[in-house]
Amino acid sequence: MSRVHKIFRKFYKIGLVLFLAIFLLFIFDEIQNLDIKRYLSEHYISEGVQETGAINLVTSVLYDYRGFDTLGEATVILTAAATLSFMAPIKKVKMLGTEFTIIIYQTIIIIIPFLVVLGMNLIFFGHISPGGGFVGGVILAMIPILVTITYGITFSENKLKANHKSLLEGIGAIGFILLGLLGIFAGSNFLASGQANFGLGNPGELISAGLIPYLNLMIGIKVGAGLATIFNSLIKEG
Amino acid sequence: MTGGKVVIYVILNMLMIFLLFTAFFAVFTKNLLNSIITLAIFSAILIVIFVILQAPDAALAEAVIGAGLTLAFFVITINKTKDWQNE
Repeated sequence: MSRVHKIFRKFYKIGLVLFLAIFLLFIFDEIQNLDIKRYLSEHYISEGVQETGAINLVTSVLYDYRGFDTLGEATVILTAAATLSFMAPIKKVKMLGTEFTIIIYQTIIIIIPFLVVLGMNLIFFGHISPGGGFVGGVILAMIPILVTITYGITFSENKLKANHKSLLEGIGAIGFILLGLLGIFAGSNFLASGQANFGLGNPGELISAGLIPYLNLMIGIKVGAGLATIFNSLIKEG
Repeated sequence: MTGGKVVIYVILNMLMIFLLFTAFFAVFTKNLLNSIITLAIFSAILIVIFVILQAPDAALAEAVIGAGLTLAFFVITINKTKDWQNE
């Protein structure tokens, strides 16, 4: 009896998974065939370049049409970094018990300038080519992380003080909000750059698209400093 | 369909099958370090799929966050914790 019961339970689980899979398959099939008018996406695709001045439509949605959501994401990282750096112990904990060869140390020194150029390129050309503030900021945050992993936490904290990183993060967060307030002073909504007529310029040039490049820069500084702070706080823990 | 399109289609489907394999391996392996490395490979395959599907923005974000940052964070976390089952 118990054997039959066990087999039944096994088949019951497999059947449940199969049922769910088939159910999802039918639902996705139906969704694909739905005939909805996509007014919003059509508007973004056809009018986005004229309204915001940014060729990269993803950036135009992220920093102009939906700039408030980006502010929310930035706040999440700011809160996480602030909490972690508040909870991090002050004393230096022993690092990973790894000694690298000289190849690693020399390669890191050569790689770092390329990482700076790549991150800055992604930030400043965020409204022209793929990229943007968030990705560029993460690449900039890779530099302190690499230095921390290879040379140890003491060297990294000596080169880039934790206070300076916190200051940079604060500059990014406050600058983003101040740039958003510019839209209100220009007589439009919060975080409006296209609607407030901030000199959109010619689409495709570096200085164009109103406030979007500056918002990109602020988000890049904020995310880079925030992630570096989070990593250093986590590596001190324990 | 022209020749190039067929090739891309075959490559896309093969990559998706590899994606499934890496995902299952990452979930069901017992060694956590193996799981993390497999997750990085999963991200790498996903990057190629994003590029094929013409989403360079998502591919960049996945490359930087999925394959780079998450790997570093997970490795540090495993280094800091202990395997209490095998002690």
